Amino acid sequence: MSKKECIAMLLAGGQGSRLGALTSNVAKPAVSFGGKFRIIDFALSNCANSGITTVGVLTQYRPYLLHSYIGTGEAWNLDERGGGVAILPPFATQTGGAWYEGTADAVTQNLGYIETNDPEYVLILSGDQLYRMDYDDMLEAHKRNNADLTIAVMPVPWEEASRFGILTAGEDGRITKFTEKPKKPDSNLASMGIYIFSADVLINSLKEDALDQTSDHDFGGNIIPKLLEEGKRLFTYEFNGFWRDVGTISSYHETSMDLLGPNPAFDIFSTTFPIMSNASTRPPAFVGKDGSVDDCLVANGCQIYGTAKHSILSTDAYVGERATVVDSVLLPGAKVKDGAHVVRAILGENSVVEENVSVGSVDQTKDTAVIGNDVVVGKGEN
Amino acid sequence: MEKVIGLITCNYSTKESSPLTESRPAASLPYFGRYRMVDFALSNLVNCGIRTVGMVMPYNYRSIIDHVGSGKDWDLDRKNGGLFILPGSAFGTSRTGARFLLRDLIHNKAYFTRSTSDAVIFSTANFVFNVDLNKVYDAHKASGADVTVLTKTAPEKDPDVTAFDVEDGRVQGVHHGATFGESMFLDCFVIGRQLLLDMFDWYAATDYLDLFEAMAGDFGRVNVRTYDYDGYVAPVFSKRAFYRANMDLLNPRVTAELFPEERSIKTKTHDTPPAKFEVGSRVINSAVSSGDRIYGSVSDSILGRNVIVEAGATVRNSIVMQGCVVKSGARVENAIVDRANVVPAGTELRGTPEDVLIKEKAHE
Repeated sequence: MSKKECIAMLLAGGQGSRLGALTSNVAKPAVSFGGKFRIIDFALSNCANSGITTVGVLTQYRPYLLHSYIGTGEAWNLDERGGGVAILPPFATQTGGAWYEGTADAVTQNLGYIETNDPEYVLILSGDQLYRMDYDDMLEAHKRNNADLTIAVMPVPWEEASRFGILTAGEDGRITKFTEKPKKPDSNLASMGIYIFSADVLINSLKEDALDQTSDHDFGGNIIPKLLEEGKRLFTYEFNGFWRDVGTISSYHETSMDLLGPNPAFDIFSTTFPIMSNASTRPPAFVGKDGSVDDCLVANGCQIYGTAKHSILSTDAYVGERATVVDSVLLPGAKVKDGAHVVRAILGENSVVEENVSVGSVDQTKDTAVIGNDVVVGKGEN
Repeated sequence: MEKVIGLITCNYSTKESSPLTESRPAASLPYFGRYRMVDFALSNLVNCGIRTVGMVMPYNYRSIIDHVGSGKDWDLDRKNGGLFILPGSAFGTSRTGARFLLRDLIHNKAYFTRSTSDAVIFSTANFVFNVDLNKVYDAHKASGADVTVLTKTAPEKDPDVTAFDVEDGRVQGVHHGATFGESMFLDCFVIGRQLLLDMFDWYAATDYLDLFEAMAGDFGRVNVRTYDYDGYVAPVFSKRAFYRANMDLLNPRVTAELFPEERSIKTKTHDTPPAKFEVGSRVINSAVSSGDRIYGSVSDSILGRNVIVEAGATVRNSIVMQGCVVKSGARVENAIVDRANVVPAGTELRGTPEDVLIKEKAHE
């Protein structure tokens, strides 16, 4: 991929309200995942690993942590002259300013950024999905098909197809129909919300959409159906690897647990397509004399004096003496003090479970327990 | 500390030659899993606000450059100032024991003359400690000393460090090797930049000497005062000291003192995932670095990055450096296993607590 052949627009403004306490003070793409990463690392690393070096990151909701985390983009080798990462929050012009009202509107408001870079293709991404994909392969497919728009799709179990935006395509991959959450799906190819547009097609359709008072300015709801209607060349690009949108607490917990076990569904140890992150420099993890760690991912700076089992311990997490942590995710700096018990729980960043306090329940019918960032759980509070 | 610049000398060798330092300068010796020895000198300088640091290189500088790069990880990739890589003189002609070899400093005079700083803080790369150098510099200014040397009361005999004869906080003499209770030099000192340039002229004829050896006859004229540091210090000039300085970090109190978040020790960062403690692994009293995958048993040990300990393998009282694989059924005990070694299945690497075995770096 040559430098400006393709640029990426990374949608990172979502609140992720279904992640509850985890996003009460940070945007969803900035939520910690997998011990040392943040969710946006996956999309940024995919860009870097695919040779895309110009990435506009559209932010809106609680952006401080996200902005400081992305910084100059150097952690993903995206600090390049004449490109690299550009953080694109809503802004004002002579005629006023507005919040981003939908995915398409966010990109529309930044058409100036796209036009300045003058690419041939524009890749539209979500900053809140976990997967490893070489976008270069997808771009090759887009060019081969002489497509106007290529949509990454993933086969899903038929019984679940009605939960997704489903694309129906011919044998050549050309899309004939797009149905949002169909009651009777005639295809099981779900849209992953990853699009490659030919730049002129994108620019024209966004400009038209902006004038349409009835539009919700959404890629899935408005832009794609309109392009189909106009007979444009829309193609699928099938992806069969690991892909998750950790939209809810339970899917966040489940996806975290997917990293554990002897043959995890998602291998974060791959060196050929590394997941890069803007990690802090902390000393190695330490397991004390009476510590016990079994089937866990443990990041730098952790100290474990008690027992941790089938859990993820993020940077600087702490498990005190006689404390137990089972089937749980401790986000960076979370502290489980002496004698405390944490089961099937997610502990927010720098949260504290006080001595001898219990959080969570083994009862699978109950929801995963969540402690918000910086929250201290004392006796009688849980 | 805009008015202060730093200088780290790396162009010296330790007296005791071991396989660990045959393949690399002491500055880039891996330490505590993810660090290199020089990280302490660099971080101490940077943590007190210094943003201009020169490093005098030994001839075998590859691993140091590989580690420090542009200085980015220490915030030393500056438009003004930043990291300066300075050539050191070739070995063979100089005495290897000199830590602040005059010739190495004089050859790089431009680094000091081009600076507008008031003072220079020097350091070598063989000590482990985390000190607030602002306090040392403040004491230097308050006392009006020409040179302020960082010292510690020697807790035991150490033949590899420099010691000072001190009266009322003022240095009267210098000698090699410290005995119990003497003022041990931590190879770190503050000196006025102009005085340093003057010394280059004074001592030009004896540029084969260490700066302090050259100064030895001048302690009446040059006011050298000590700043005694009472925190954790580990001089690392021998295999035994290296092993012990690592093992000290299995004491969480020492680790907390050396790696406080507010004065973090910075190092080259890598994109390695967290360590994975696999089902059935057993790890106690050990430090485990990112990228490690442990299936077997590890106790009282320190593992570098990307180490694999297979099922049925045992690592005890050992330091296993980056990229090693301890195969199934292998035993590593009282050993230092240098980088990229594969310990074959069912074999043993075993030393004694008094004499740890060193397995040299594998050919890459």
